[in-house]
Amino acid sequence: MNSRKRIVIVAKKEIIEFIRDWRTIVALVLIPLLLFPLLFIAFPVVMQNEAAELEEKSIQVLIQSNDIDLLLIQEIENQSAIITQVAMPSNLTTLADPGNNTELLRSLEYDAILRIEERNETWYYAILHLSTSEQSNEARNRILDVLFEWEENLTIERIESAGLDVESTLNPLQWDGSISGADVATKGEQAGMLLSLFIPFVLAIWTASAAVQPAIDMTVGERERGTLESLLSLPLSRTELLLGKWLAVVSITAVGVTLQISGLLFGIAYLASDFIDVPSLSFGSIFLLALAVGFYGTMIVALYLALAMRSKSVKEAGSVLTPITLAMILPILLTQFINLDDVEMFWFGIPFVNVLLGLRELLLNRIIIEHVVVWILVSSLVCLLTIRYAAKQFRREDIITTKS
Amino acid sequence: MDPLLRLINVKKSFGDVQAINHVNFEIHRNSVIGLVGGNGAGKTTLLRLMSGVYRPTEGSVQLNNERPVTEMRNVLGVVPESTGLYSKLTAWENIRYHSRLHGIDDQVAWDRTYRFAKLLDIEQSLHRYTEGFSRGMKQKTALLRALAHGPQILLLDEPTGGLDVTSARTVRRLVRKLKDEGGTVIYSTHHLAEAQQVCDRIIIIHNGIVQADGTPEELLNLTNSNTLEEAYVAFTKETARPRTEETETPSRMATLWRRLFTPSMKMEVSEDE
Repeated sequence: MNSRKRIVIVAKKEIIEFIRDWRTIVALVLIPLLLFPLLFIAFPVVMQNEAAELEEKSIQVLIQSNDIDLLLIQEIENQSAIITQVAMPSNLTTLADPGNNTELLRSLEYDAILRIEERNETWYYAILHLSTSEQSNEARNRILDVLFEWEENLTIERIESAGLDVESTLNPLQWDGSISGADVATKGEQAGMLLSLFIPFVLAIWTASAAVQPAIDMTVGERERGTLESLLSLPLSRTELLLGKWLAVVSITAVGVTLQISGLLFGIAYLASDFIDVPSLSFGSIFLLALAVGFYGTMIVALYLALAMRSKSVKEAGSVLTPITLAMILPILLTQFINLDDVEMFWFGIPFVNVLLGLRELLLNRIIIEHVVVWILVSSLVCLLTIRYAAKQFRREDIITTKS
Repeated sequence: MDPLLRLINVKKSFGDVQAINHVNFEIHRNSVIGLVGGNGAGKTTLLRLMSGVYRPTEGSVQLNNERPVTEMRNVLGVVPESTGLYSKLTAWENIRYHSRLHGIDDQVAWDRTYRFAKLLDIEQSLHRYTEGFSRGMKQKTALLRALAHGPQILLLDEPTGGLDVTSARTVRRLVRKLKDEGGTVIYSTHHLAEAQQVCDRIIIIHNGIVQADGTPEELLNLTNSNTLEEAYVAFTKETARPRTEETETPSRMATLWRRLFTPSMKMEVSEDE
């Protein structure tokens, strides 16, 4: 029997054993598949409900002014506001100075305080509010809406009384035609741009987090359950054993990642098509995307298997791999801030970062040969090194006897 | 007749600890050999050396015409102390997994498994998940798994440990049957009565050294003893040492860290006493 067959036998057994746990199916299939569609459905619904709820609420507004326009008060009242009007307090350095009115807002007696007064034909105003209160923010926004409309009317009135044309005075520079029509990028490319900031993040985090549990279970977990010793006495080399387990973890992770991306694309295509399109990618980009994810998965899984095998217990493996998974956020965040139009070549020489940058470029449907060659070469080398390191851990004699 | 298995000057160390020290013996076909020794004597280490899980620090373990054991694992059937069954697989799936890795056709493995399963009275449970199996059922399944590919040598590490009387008897009966059919079994135990009952030859190992090697009668004669227990005591006068293969030296960092969070346990004697 050849080596490849033995590796496949080990991988098949690991996968069968793994998926027989119903919790795995939930974690591996349902959550990745439904996460984004549910987010696309739930997010707008929750947002709309919350906004509608806020709009229905009446707000308590205290107006402090000695000369406010009655029309303005009426307009604010029309915004479901209950108004109390008092005279402007004295001894204020500016209108924005809260003075001794802070407690009125903190105690939620009023949602906002509007101060307004006219000096030399200019109206000065300030709105005091509590930014940590949703209701106070809502009150501030409603007052601002009324004030801007009132200001516009006042501006038009003054322009007209000066005998000027309102439109050309207010908008001496105007866009001609549709704004989106002037963008030569297709909708698919625009979607690629937006998703290039998002998909690498999802892929990297999901790959890293989905691999943790199977990697621990198939190594130190197997040792703790006492199943490793009989396996090591079989006509199977340790490298074959590692590759079988690696293949299983990679397959499990790949299924999770594929389902999650499918869920995301389904969500975009059918639930959020008003806002964003499915990115348009060439066959070459799709192939290289799969390759990049493959490299990333290979490195992560081999590293996890090695570190888990090194650990003395499942608990120790968990406390080693969890911080590493969280640390993966660092290269991911780093790649978000790199300007792809002017990216230096050295970034593609940094393991993990290079693959994530490659993913961003490919989602923009950009295949820059020099970049691709560098990240493929570097990633291949790192893959070999991580697998070698994992193989070294699997060859250790104490892997069956080390216990916590 | 050429020996089936040969240990030549085998030494095994774990760090500074000598687990096995200059062990030499030969195993011939069609025999049941008992490896007898106390806790930490080196029985499991010796079995792991014979199964190729461990490599000797010095010397060699050779199978069939001087080939290293690591190249000849196909001829071995191993049942470790922990049985090592996968709980989410059925008994047959556990057996099939190993037989496939031995390169055995599923039908051949099934026929062989079913035959021995009937002897062990476990044939009705072959398609059950091993999760709910008793210790005896697990031990029997592990035995079937080790036998499915038709090994030339069966290595059993404490096969009756933790079993009830009936199950232990069934296992012993199977071992005798294997011998009757021409098989070779190496059987580690610390039960002398069991060794006397099952084994043709007994190797007493103590502190990693072979203290005696012979038939039960030879061991009794050598020590002028009436029972094997007396003979065993005569051969192993020194005190046993701790189990070496699990002796681990924590790293310096780990030691320092533990010390930092280990409160002093010194108790002061009260003045009243």
